[in-house]
Amino acid sequence: MRVRVWALAGVAAGGVLLATVLPSATSVAAVGQSTPGIGPAPPAAAPLPNRQGSLKFAVLGDFGTGDRTQYELADQMVKLHDRFKFELVVLVGDNLYGSERPQDFIRKFERPYNGLLDRGVKFYASLGNHDAREQRYYKLFNMNGKLYYSFSPHRDVRFFALESTYPVPEQFEWLEHEMKSSTSAWKIVFFHHPLYSSGDRHGSDLRLREVLEPIFAKYNVSLVLTGHDHFYERVKPQKGITYFETGSGGQLRKGNIDKSTGITASGFDTDLVFMGAEIVGDDLYFQAIARDGRTVDAGVVKRPNAAR
Amino acid sequence: MITHQRALALAVVSLTLAGCSGTRNPPPPPATTESPAGAPATERVVGPLSEADAAALASMNTQLKRYVELHQKLERELPKLPDNATPTQIDTNQRLLEEKVRAARAGAKQGDLFTPAATPVIKRLLAAVFGGPDGKQLKDSIMDENPVGVTVTVNGRYPDDVPVSTVPPQVLQTLPKLSDDMEYRFIGDRIVLVDVHAHLIADFIDDALPKF
Repeated sequence: MRVRVWALAGVAAGGVLLATVLPSATSVAAVGQSTPGIGPAPPAAAPLPNRQGSLKFAVLGDFGTGDRTQYELADQMVKLHDRFKFELVVLVGDNLYGSERPQDFIRKFERPYNGLLDRGVKFYASLGNHDAREQRYYKLFNMNGKLYYSFSPHRDVRFFALESTYPVPEQFEWLEHEMKSSTSAWKIVFFHHPLYSSGDRHGSDLRLREVLEPIFAKYNVSLVLTGHDHFYERVKPQKGITYFETGSGGQLRKGNIDKSTGITASGFDTDLVFMGAEIVGDDLYFQAIARDGRTVDAGVVKRPNAAR
Repeated sequence: MITHQRALALAVVSLTLAGCSGTRNPPPPPATTESPAGAPATERVVGPLSEADAAALASMNTQLKRYVELHQKLERELPKLPDNATPTQIDTNQRLLEEKVRAARAGAKQGDLFTPAATPVIKRLLAAVFGGPDGKQLKDSIMDENPVGVTVTVNGRYPDDVPVSTVPPQVLQTLPKLSDDMEYRFIGDRIVLVDVHAHLIADFIDDALPKF
């Protein structure tokens, strides 16, 4: 599977306009890069095609601080929704930090994302290590009382939410069964702890990778979305699977991407980020947007070959 | 990989074996953390236990079974929490259950569930898990955002500001299986039995993790 990244640099004054389609993710310092980060600069034009009938969704993680910056990023999500009507948001855990009294749900979730909730956008949550287990009953997280579950919002796309802090064997048995019986071309898995991450603070969860990666490879998983490390990172495809780290929806650890890992295709660790995505046939377009509205990464993930 | 650790005395005694005298020890299945083609997703490793160890863990399972029965009885007295609950419903339900369980176990003390007989066996099982070349990495994953110096008490509330520790699948595959009402977690070097719905610390063992 290739990840095509458009390197359209030169938005900054005096830069050179460069349009290059790159094969899978080699980190290239683009000329005139306007967005400080790691990897090629994203395109100047909107990278989400916004086709009628496509599945449009967003990804958010590690967000529920209740801080002003969380609200500001939420505003960017609404701005994107103004022109790109994503129908759902996938939450990769650490949905609420600290106490979880009723007023905290309002301050840390319902109020910042009120603009999206009012528009009928649905949030599908997975739990992180900061989340009380009872969040699975919270109606707006659409977990239906389950720690792990799957749903199919669109023909040919199935999402699988996992619980990564307490991965009981039964969960893996369930996952195998679900994947075996799924006929969806796109299998997208989301959970909290990353199998691949360049985080200096947390990094890759090798024990979880040992168990999950073989399952993902066996069943031709297309995409894995995680959080936990508080930055944005698109990881170079690993055994054909693309991994996104979207853990800076409210929390941020500046400068935490360890550039020496060699697995980063693109990274951004200086401000909050969420990601918009759109599936059109065999292509998944993605756009990572920062708190000030800048696009910090964008491109297309080609779906792996036919599901087994 | 901790395959070689599974060749040692790793054992899992499920709650369904509570009260088992442990006189029959089936040979361990091949240890694996992967899913070879045609195999089930994961193999829970069952290794040989001495009769004494099996009896010790059975004593723990007996106490756990009693605890879970009490928990479930008390939970049935509350309105059932719907799958699409409001935060107020969630919070009210949880705190009511917490009060009920705490009151019903007013005299609870350390060792009631991790019994004195089972505690050294649990520690040995954990030592086996962490004894391999990956042991430090395993512990690092548990200690990730796991604070030290936190005071815990049996029947006390799980601290709201302490994130739950990661419990690696290799650890879960080794320790006795729990019902969905309970979880193992680590707070510092302690292994804690948490009543998930009541947010209570049901019991704990100090110094359960090795020092690296």
